[in-house]
Amino acid sequence: MIDPLYIWLTPYLAAGIMAITWVMGIRKESFYSWLSVLSILVSAIIATILTPKVYHGDIIYTVHSWMPDIGVNVGTYMDGLGAFMSLVVAWLSFLIAVYSTKYMEGDWGFQRYFFFFTFFVGSMLLLVLADNLVLLFIGWEGTGLASYALIGHWYTDDEDTWVGDPGRKALGTNMYFEPSHSGVRAILFTKIGDIGMLIGMAGIFALTGTLSIPQISNLTSQSDGWMATLANMKILTAFLVVFSLGALAKSAQFPFQEWLVTAMTGPTPVSALIHAATMVKAGVYFMLRFAPIFAVGAANLGGAVLDAVTSYFWIIALLGGITAFMMATMAIVSRELKLILAFSTASQLGYMFLGVGAAGYLLKGAEAGTSNTLSLVYEGIAASASHLMSHAVFKAALFLIAGWAIHAVHSRFIDDMGNFAKYMKISMISMWLAGLSLAGIPPFSGFWSKEGVLHTAHLAGLENLWLLGVITAGITAFYITRATVRVFHIKPYHRHEEEHHLHEAPLTMLLPYFILALTALVIGLVWPLGFSEKVAELLGHTLAMPSAELPSVEFTGITLEIVGYALLMVLFAIVLYLAFKPDFVGLLQKSTTARILHDFLYDRWYINALIYIFIVGGFAGLVEIMGWINGVIDAFYHVAIPVVLIAGSQAFRGLHRGRTDLYLTFYAYFIGVALLVLYFLWG
Amino acid sequence: MVVLDTSLLWLSVLLPVIISILGVRSEKYETLASIIAALLLFPLVIVAVAAIKGSLSSGIVDPAYTTINGIGTLAFALDGLSALVVAGISVVTAFVAFYSLPYMKTRIEEMRTEGEEPPSLGVYYLLYTLFAVAMVGLVYSTNLILFYLFLELTLIPSFLLIAYYGYGDRKRIAMLYFVWTHLGAVVFLAGALYYGYIAGNFDYLNIDTLSPVGNAASILGNMTTLIAALMTFGLFVKMAVLGVHMWLPYAHAEAPTPISALLSPNLIGLAGYAMARITVPLFPDFYTANQWFFIYLAFATIIYGGLVALKQTDFKRFLAYSSVSQMGYMLLGIATLTSLGITGAMLHYLAHAVGKAVLFMTAGVFITDLHGFRDITRMGGLARKYPMTAALALVGFMHLVGMPPTVGMWSEIFIILGLFRAIDISAQFILITLLLIVALGISASYAFINMRRIFYGKPRSDTAERAKPESVGILQWSMLAIAFFGFLFFLWITPYYDSLLTAASKIVQILQTVMG
Repeated sequence: MIDPLYIWLTPYLAAGIMAITWVMGIRKESFYSWLSVLSILVSAIIATILTPKVYHGDIIYTVHSWMPDIGVNVGTYMDGLGAFMSLVVAWLSFLIAVYSTKYMEGDWGFQRYFFFFTFFVGSMLLLVLADNLVLLFIGWEGTGLASYALIGHWYTDDEDTWVGDPGRKALGTNMYFEPSHSGVRAILFTKIGDIGMLIGMAGIFALTGTLSIPQISNLTSQSDGWMATLANMKILTAFLVVFSLGALAKSAQFPFQEWLVTAMTGPTPVSALIHAATMVKAGVYFMLRFAPIFAVGAANLGGAVLDAVTSYFWIIALLGGITAFMMATMAIVSRELKLILAFSTASQLGYMFLGVGAAGYLLKGAEAGTSNTLSLVYEGIAASASHLMSHAVFKAALFLIAGWAIHAVHSRFIDDMGNFAKYMKISMISMWLAGLSLAGIPPFSGFWSKEGVLHTAHLAGLENLWLLGVITAGITAFYITRATVRVFHIKPYHRHEEEHHLHEAPLTMLLPYFILALTALVIGLVWPLGFSEKVAELLGHTLAMPSAELPSVEFTGITLEIVGYALLMVLFAIVLYLAFKPDFVGLLQKSTTARILHDFLYDRWYINALIYIFIVGGFAGLVEIMGWINGVIDAFYHVAIPVVLIAGSQAFRGLHRGRTDLYLTFYAYFIGVALLVLYFLWG
Repeated sequence: MVVLDTSLLWLSVLLPVIISILGVRSEKYETLASIIAALLLFPLVIVAVAAIKGSLSSGIVDPAYTTINGIGTLAFALDGLSALVVAGISVVTAFVAFYSLPYMKTRIEEMRTEGEEPPSLGVYYLLYTLFAVAMVGLVYSTNLILFYLFLELTLIPSFLLIAYYGYGDRKRIAMLYFVWTHLGAVVFLAGALYYGYIAGNFDYLNIDTLSPVGNAASILGNMTTLIAALMTFGLFVKMAVLGVHMWLPYAHAEAPTPISALLSPNLIGLAGYAMARITVPLFPDFYTANQWFFIYLAFATIIYGGLVALKQTDFKRFLAYSSVSQMGYMLLGIATLTSLGITGAMLHYLAHAVGKAVLFMTAGVFITDLHGFRDITRMGGLARKYPMTAALALVGFMHLVGMPPTVGMWSEIFIILGLFRAIDISAQFILITLLLIVALGISASYAFINMRRIFYGKPRSDTAERAKPESVGILQWSMLAIAFFGFLFFLWITPYYDSLLTAASKIVQILQTVMG
């Protein structure tokens, strides 16, 4: 049997080779792109070969010794969740790598692009297969580094690579972002979360003496284990939130969502892979990995642990719900195609957090040791996982289409796009397939998985968050239809289509997104025909999650109403833009209310501005104050002390002017003093 | 403890000096630099071989040692605690010796056109080698007298190097550097002499077991606190802890860049090593009593240094303040008084040595190629012209921020693991969490914000705009070599970590007898 280690090691090795050849001065593009594509394909194939074994109940676990004393080894832990994630990651990465070979052709940073792309894939696969927290952290930071480098890929900051309207300000803060700026934002926002994760690691290590995830999982349920100890200290909830900060930041959940929006300065395939399909899912993966562990501990220990853990899950669900709603509203008014998709990504990630949070919250009020509740929790967690998968597929497709659309008109604004349907039929079909999946229309995959998440929220009794999720579903249907209609079916607002010679995308780019869009449909079609059971079966072989089912969706009552409502929003958007052709620009000029509302959404609820004013501004103020204090310290050492010493030296020198009478006086005086001293010492 | 057959440790210190004395009048600078660099790599080879053979945990002792009545045993030894420190010095000094070649040629040329007569490159290499081996000798030492001799020996050549080849008001700054750090050394010496006078010898390591000589309180009685405070304060000055840090930015910014790349990465961290090696095991009562003061002082140094670094516009001055901040992490690791934390602190010595050396060398690339160009506000977009240098600088920053795949990750993890062993989680969890987020967040901020200011965006001056594409040469290759070791130690950390933890737990055993 192949060691699952190679799933993540192969891309790393390829990236290492690229680094060496780059230093040696080799710049041949096809070498880098082919090496990347091939190494990822190898990973994908190994993951695919190994998955059936996991599916049949054998967790594949290989360990190579590294630092055994602290439970840190090169351990590859391929259980249901690990296999599931590595399949999604590896195959999506492969398709997007193929797309990139064409998309990045002739780019001045081609080699760097594929180096970081491959390095990213290795890190992401390591992250989902790591058996201990340090290895997970290495993959985690690796994805962050690649994300930073790729967001700032076009670091010369030419205006066509920015995000936002050049010159726009909100509350005095710039609302346009250069790639190099976005890169710094991404790494700093996520770094704050990562520190939380490190602290969580340190806390668990201080209490258990190990960093191995399976060992930590084994120790959760002990009555004197780490969870019980922390609960006795009354900080279990806070501790779990801090531990999850990394996940919240990585997955751009409120209040960390801002970095993901501006991450759109990166090349579009990067947005598709890192900022939609995979890396931002690392946070969700983290939740899926640890939620069962926490839940099992809470269910077994009950009492204070149970209360603390359910409060924690409630916070997660709340943040997810808020993010889902907030980001969806921003997508309604956005003028940039990638930005719409970025808002949508954060919003959909919010659903996943809502799903996991609600699943854990199901434990509330449960009696200690009830396995019945636990199986419901597993069901909710599996629902979140399935939404992760379906979102990865359709959102990657949408981004790849957007990449072609932006390339076609050399503009990121949808105002410059329009009537694409005439020139690119297959892209149009792909867009509708993926878009309807995002909108949650049956029978597309997005419908089933989103339904599962909402079902969990409902079951957990989180009525308000459930309602927020439902409202968001409608908004989602609206904004994605708006984008599709404006790009493909009506005339562009600004330019004339004749300016560009629009045509269908080349095959290397077209095929990846067409395949993905089709997959979104096919998964949806086979979902009720046994596919969901298969997914659940695989996920049911996960650490601390020995069984799983996916919520069964029935077309009755509330589900029908939600579907009807989403369909209505789709139709509403179509009719609005196709038939009425409203003059929104004119409306904004006339109506103050409309303008205030528009600006509120367009400037992202002013959250970015507030972060800059209070946090960035606060630290900038501290920098000034510290600079001033430093000046004072400097002056003390290098002005005050020398001045005193110089003055003393001059005063002393003043006594030595060569006057014999003065010297004699001093001589007599000090002889006297010396005699007195001697007298008192001996006397 | 293994006593070596041959006097390898002494040879690794003396051979480079002999060669550089012989070569002081030579004009074949390339040969001279190559030989010196090869010899300076010798300590690293000793460390690596000892690690592979597994003799680091028990430690190795040089056969040439002598015991003098009233002084103690003058010996050289190497164990887990010192291995990574020696490795850090060896890697940096060896490759910076190569780097010095083009850099100092340009610098001496430049000084000549300004009408000055700096001493030749041969003299430079003599002083450089003395400086480098003095640091290695200091780490090998097992006795306070030997330690102090080497401490002074680091100061004199580095003082002369700044005075001869430095920038700006270099004579004044060299004097300033000399006076302040000498002050620190003398305060340390005062404590050390007092200790030796009472104890009857100056040993801090037991030569037979290579374990600390133990709590000195029983010998020193009520003088313990005074002696501990004197020695610790002296080391704080050397380490440039907040409050006594003011000499550092001047010296490190205005030294010739290869010397900055030794001062910041190697020299100041030695005070942290000395603390773990000498003062903590000698004065466990003092350190446990003041533990929280030291932890807060460490956080204050990290945050303060980082914030002031963000304000700097001069590349080298920025790096100098970043060093102040980074020393805070070392102090934090030691102040946890746990074996994990002390392990983290020594790992941090290595991480900081590699990272900061690469960064100072980055600054040196622009100073050499673009005629003293070091104003960050006028940089920007340099990655386009200097892709290799930019990539290496990013690796350098990753060491400081603790990102894998660099050894910086291990130091960050171990320091935090140690910290959470040391604190009372139930009472201090939130406080320590906030402090860590602010501290590490500021470190990441100055790293990535300045990475952007220097390398990304549009050029902000003619100099940056018209820079010619980099010609990858000795400057970049030597940086690459140092950076590579940062990656190597990330992967191959286990043997060092094991022996380091063994050595650190010997220190912690002494502490535990005090803490109960």
